[in-house]
Amino acid sequence: MSNTRRRSTVEIWRWPAVLAIMTICGLLCALLGQTGVWLVLSWFALAFPLLLIVRHLCHLNFEDTRV
Amino acid sequence: MTRRALRRWFWLHKWASLICTGFLLVTCLTGLPLIFRDEIGDWLEDGLPYAVVADGAPTINLDRVAATARQMYPGQVIGTIFIDDDEPKVMVAMAPSWATYTADPNSAHWIKFDSHAGVVLKESKSFGGNGHSFLEIVFSLHRDLFAGLYGELFMGLMALCFVVAVISGVVVYAPFMRRLDFGAVRSSHSSRLRWLDLHNLMGIVVMAWLLVVGVTGIVNELSTPLFGLWQLTDVRATLAPLGGKPGLAESELISPQAAYDTVKATLPDMTATSVIFPGSPFGSPYHYLVWTKGKQPLTSRLFSPVLVDARSGAFVSAIAMPWYLRALEVSRPLHFGDYGGMPLKIIWGLFDLTAIIILVSGLHLWLSRRPSRMREAEAELFASCASSAPAMSGEAAE
Repeated sequence: MSNTRRRSTVEIWRWPAVLAIMTICGLLCALLGQTGVWLVLSWFALAFPLLLIVRHLCHLNFEDTRV
Repeated sequence: MTRRALRRWFWLHKWASLICTGFLLVTCLTGLPLIFRDEIGDWLEDGLPYAVVADGAPTINLDRVAATARQMYPGQVIGTIFIDDDEPKVMVAMAPSWATYTADPNSAHWIKFDSHAGVVLKESKSFGGNGHSFLEIVFSLHRDLFAGLYGELFMGLMALCFVVAVISGVVVYAPFMRRLDFGAVRSSHSSRLRWLDLHNLMGIVVMAWLLVVGVTGIVNELSTPLFGLWQLTDVRATLAPLGGKPGLAESELISPQAAYDTVKATLPDMTATSVIFPGSPFGSPYHYLVWTKGKQPLTSRLFSPVLVDARSGAFVSAIAMPWYLRALEVSRPLHFGDYGGMPLKIIWGLFDLTAIIILVSGLHLWLSRRPSRMREAEAELFASCASSAPAMSGEAAE
């Protein structure tokens, strides 16, 4: 994170694209499947982006902050 | 992207967001309890409990329901009988007369029957929604700010602003991330930078959900004019050949159960969900209008109205549903998040909370800009992605 190397477009959009596709798949799985394994798949696909936010928040270091 | 283009997109993101943030906050906060409206509704339910019956017990005859309702309110008209396929209930909507109802929709009221025992479980004083004042207030705030159709259209416009804000936010995301890893939150820098990084991280992670809920929100806010358009065009065209004939007297009507049975026999692959009586402003003067839906996961979201001749009981036709109402029907679950069990509702609630944090952090970023030095504050944001200028001009060359 500290290195200031310039990121390529692919590097910038890799994660956002994966997350967007997972979200859309999760929404459609539940809508079109509506039962059993499709629902479970949908829950995992939709929970993943949220867990990723939590993971990044856990890495936050608040003590070292200059306001 | 050129520096100038970035500034334009950033301007768009800022203003589209600022216009809708306050309303979006109301929408997100009221949306949270609405995700769980079934559970809250059950919890607040003050009617009698359902009868306990064995699986596959027969449901009550609709004629008996209609007769009981007419006995309770002699002289009133029945507008609709709604047969729930989720809970064992049959709802009957009544009004003093069609003229009274047309003049004041609040003159209608409903009676809730147990669909097995046939007893009355609850009655409403007016038609206004599901009878739980808490949920009604929250829902009205969410949908139209108590301002009816104009409120719906206004909130639809705010939803449109929100969609523009999300799209422009996604566009300005890349230049900010040129020198950062995905998800980097610079906690050791200023508090403002930390908020900016959190705003970017959360926004980009849930962007697809925000767009889906925003777009389906716009479609939902347009439901009143869309149904109006359909009634003026397709429904009127179907009924036009019959125009001018006098309406039917109650004694001439076949029974609602007969109309229901006709539809069930003609369309075995469909479930009939409601029977609208002849004369209703939502139906036809000469027919029972029976709303049906499919039995497959997707088709159960798609409702089709069917006409049954109210005098002969013959099946007349199904009215074609235009594409814009199909789109509306598919938008509903995608907006409400109520189609995948309790885990999906909880996930929906967490997405909603994330959206609230994004709105609040965006607002904080704007409010914490240096007073009277807006341009400088913006410059600070642009500079935040350290030495971004060469990156951006490099991009312009791409």
